Amino acid sequence: MVHRLGSFARPRVLRRVVTIGVATALVLAACGSDNKSNSSSTAAPGGTAGGGGSDKSLVIARQMDVNSLDPSRAYCDTCQIFMTAVYETLIGLDTDNKTLVPRLATSWEANDAQTEFTFHLDPKAKFADGSPVTSADVKFSWERLKGLQGAASYLVSTVQTIDTPDPETVKVTMSQPNSAFLAQVNASYLGIVNSKVAQAQGATADPATDKAETWFLSNSAGSGPFELADYTQGNELRFKRNDNYWGTKSQFPEVIIKETAEAATQRQQLEQGAVDIAMQISNDVAQGMGGSDVTVNPVPSFNYVYLALSPGAVGGDALKKAEVRQAIRLALDYDGLVNVTVGGAGKSQPSPIPNGFAGTDGLAPPKQDVNKAKDLLSQAGETNLTFDATYPTFNVYGVDFSTAMQKVQTDLKAVGIELKLNPVEISVWADKIGKDGIPVTMLYFAPDHTDSSQYVQYFGLLPGSQWQTWAKVDENKDETDLLNQAFAAKDDTSRAKLYNQLAQMMIDDQIIIPVVNPNLFLASRSDIKGMHYSACCNLDLSRLSRG
Amino acid sequence: MPLLLAGIATLVFVISRLTPADPLVSIVGERNLNNPEVVAAAKAQWGLDQSVFVQYVKYMKNLLHGDMGTSFTTRQPVTSDLLDRLPATLELVICALILGVSVGVSLGILAARHRGSIIDGIARFFALLGASLPAFWAGLVLLYVFYAQLGWLPGPGRLDTRDTPPSRITGFYTVDSLLHGDISTFGNAVRHLILPATVLGLGVVGIVTRLVRASLLDEFSLEYVRVARAMGLRERTVVNNHALRNALLPTITIVAFTFAFLITGAVLTETVFSWPGVGNYAVEASRRLDYPAIIGVTILGGIAFLLTNLVSDVAYAFADPRIRLS
Repeated sequence: MVHRLGSFARPRVLRRVVTIGVATALVLAACGSDNKSNSSSTAAPGGTAGGGGSDKSLVIARQMDVNSLDPSRAYCDTCQIFMTAVYETLIGLDTDNKTLVPRLATSWEANDAQTEFTFHLDPKAKFADGSPVTSADVKFSWERLKGLQGAASYLVSTVQTIDTPDPETVKVTMSQPNSAFLAQVNASYLGIVNSKVAQAQGATADPATDKAETWFLSNSAGSGPFELADYTQGNELRFKRNDNYWGTKSQFPEVIIKETAEAATQRQQLEQGAVDIAMQISNDVAQGMGGSDVTVNPVPSFNYVYLALSPGAVGGDALKKAEVRQAIRLALDYDGLVNVTVGGAGKSQPSPIPNGFAGTDGLAPPKQDVNKAKDLLSQAGETNLTFDATYPTFNVYGVDFSTAMQKVQTDLKAVGIELKLNPVEISVWADKIGKDGIPVTMLYFAPDHTDSSQYVQYFGLLPGSQWQTWAKVDENKDETDLLNQAFAAKDDTSRAKLYNQLAQMMIDDQIIIPVVNPNLFLASRSDIKGMHYSACCNLDLSRLSRG
Repeated sequence: MPLLLAGIATLVFVISRLTPADPLVSIVGERNLNNPEVVAAAKAQWGLDQSVFVQYVKYMKNLLHGDMGTSFTTRQPVTSDLLDRLPATLELVICALILGVSVGVSLGILAARHRGSIIDGIARFFALLGASLPAFWAGLVLLYVFYAQLGWLPGPGRLDTRDTPPSRITGFYTVDSLLHGDISTFGNAVRHLILPATVLGLGVVGIVTRLVRASLLDEFSLEYVRVARAMGLRERTVVNNHALRNALLPTITIVAFTFAFLITGAVLTETVFSWPGVGNYAVEASRRLDYPAIIGVTILGGIAFLLTNLVSDVAYAFADPRIRLS
C-alpha cells in the first residue's frame, strides 16, 4: 500500500487546475453573455436601411420535415416555404388564396381545349447570379421535375412538350386537356432553376445520370428573394437575402428556420423573443398566449384530417355494404370531434374537397344521426362488427391522431361497431396498407395548389388513384368522366359545377370521411407584419417584415 | 474489432429488413406510394429494387471501404452525417459526465463518511432522484423554470437563435469559439450547455453516487484503511487519498460504459433541447426507417463501446498498479 501513501500532491494539483478552469470558463461565459446581449440589439451586418431593428434576422421555430432541397425532388410542408423563398414560379397567388397573379411570367394564355398554355416571361427577371431567367430555364426545370420522377412530378405528368420559340416565351403542350395547369404552375414545386448553374453541377432530367442533389443541399440557383445559406438536418435551415433580387428586396438579411420539435418549446421561445414566429402552435398550447409582445391569430386552413374506409382490405368485408359505410358516417359526432381534437378551433367539412375550394358551395354539412345509423346496420344485417383500425402516430396541425381515433371509437361503439385501435409508425402503416389494406384508418391532407382536381385525383375512385388502390374498390367511371370534363372546361363557373358533382359523388362513395378541418395559429412577435397562411406555399417569407 | 463491427452491421441489416415496414414512405411521401413511376424511380435510386441479399453484399462491400451508404433522410453520406453530429453529442456528453461524476463522487464520499446520518439520507435521495427522473420530463421542467419563467438560462439549441456557429475546426462550439478568439460565442455555447448537461448528468449522478458510496464502505472495512487511521492520518486524508482511489476502480468501468451509451443514447435530452447530435439523428432515422442511417448509428455505438472498453482498461492500469505490473 506504499504507493497510495506517497501520492498526495497529484490530486491537489489536479483539483486546483480543474477549479481554475471551471472558474475561468464561467467568467468567460458570463462575459460572453453580456457581450451577446449587447450585440443582439445592434444591427446585423449587411442589412437594409430601416429603424427599429428592421435588419435583424428573422427566426422561425418549426419542426421541419425536409426530404430534399433539390427543387426537383423536394416535397414537404417546409419545402413549400423553401421553394417559394428561393425558386420563383411563373405564376403567384394573391393574398385571397384564389387569384393567380404574375410572378416570373407577366401574362399567360390557354387555348380553348386547355391543351396548350403559353407564358410570357418578365424580361426584368434574373437569377441570383445576375443572369436572366429565360424560357430555356423553364423548360429545363419542368423537364427535370418530370424526368427525375420525384414526389412532386405528378404536377407535370400531363406535360407532353415544352417549346421555347424565344427566350421570353414558353409554350407547353399537354397530353390531355388540363384546366388545372395554371394552378399547378403556381405550386411552389414548379419553381424555376438556373439551368446553366444546375447543369454545371451535374443536374440532368435523367435519374440515372443526375448528380446534383448533394450540391442542392448546400447551394441554390433560383431567382427568389432569398438564397440557401446553410442547411443541417435536425438543426436549422438558413437563408440569406438575395441582394441581386429583381423585385422588392426583403427587409431581412437572413431568415433562420430553427428545428423545434415541441409546440410548448416553440411557445417559450416566442415569448422569450428568441424566435419571431412559431409555426406549429396547437390549440392547447395557444391557450393564454398573447399580450403586448406576441400576436396569435387562428385562421381557417385547407388542411384536414380524415377517416378512411377500405372495403377491399383484409377484415373489411362488411364495409362492402354501402349501408355500413353510411352508418359509420352517420355515427360520428362531428362537433364533438372538432371539440375533442382542437378544442373547437376548427370546423367539419362535408367532402374530401375542403371548404373554400371550387365545388364546395351548397354541400350539406355532415351530421350525426345515431338512430339512423343503427337502422342502417340492422337493414344490412350487421349488428356486431369489429374492425382493425391501424393508424399512424401522427400529430399534425394540432390534431393528435390517437385522441381523434379514441373519439371515433367511442362514437362507433354507440352504434355497435367495435374498433381495435392500433397506432403504429408511418412506415409500418404504409407497409400494411400497401399489402393487406386497413379497414378503418386515419390520415391528413394539405393542398399543393389551388385547384380542386388534386382532391379528386387522390380521393376519387379513378383507376389507380391513391384511395382507389388502398381501399381496393372498383373504379367509379362517372367520376373519371366528370373529372375529364372539368379538365376540358374553360370557364370557372362550369368547372365549379362539375367539381360540385364530384364532391357529392365522393361523399356518396363513403370511402373518405373528413373529421376535422383545424384552424392554423399564426403566432408571431407583435412587430412582425404580414403573417399569413398561403394555400400554395404555406408561408411566403417575402411578405414578412418587421416594424 | 472489424469482425465484431461486421457482425453488428449484419445483425442490424437483417433485423431492419425483417421489420414489416415500408421505407419508401419516407422517400416519396405517403401521397405517392401508389404512383408506380415515382415508386420505381425511388427504388432504383436507393437500390431497393434489388434482392435483400444483393443489397446486403453491396452494403458490406461498401462498408469495408468506410462507406456506410447514403441516408434516405438527409440525402448525404451517413459517415459525414455522423461526423457532423458527433462533436455536438461529445461536447454535451463530456460536460454531462464531468458534472455527473464530480457531483456523484462528492455525494458518494459524503454518504459513505456519514453512513446512516441525515447527510447519507439526503445524498441517497438525490442519487435516487437523479437515477429515476425521466430526462424528457426533467428537461421540459428545467426549460420552463430556468428559461421560460426566470429567464436565467438560454433555451434549446447550441447557440442563441440569431447566432452564427463558429467556423468548424473541431465541431465543439466551445473549443472552436476559443480558437477563433470569440469569447462572446464561447460564453453563449457554455450557457447553452448548462441545462442539457444537467439533465443528462442527473442520471450519471445517481449511478456514481450509489457506486462510490458502496465501494467506499467496502474499502473502509479493509486493513489498510484501519492502518492509515491507526497511524493518525486525518480522516479526510484517509478517505480522499487512500480509500477513494481504490473505490473509484469500478466507477471507471461504469463511467466508461455510460459515456459510450450516451453517445447514441442521449436521445430524449437531444430531442427536448433541439440538440443536433447523434441521438437526434438516430430518432429521425428510426422514425423514417432510414436503413443506412440506422446501421451507421449502431456501428458508431459499437465503436464507442469498444473504444471506451479499451480506454477503461488503460485507465485501470493507471489507477491500479497491480494490473500495470501484471
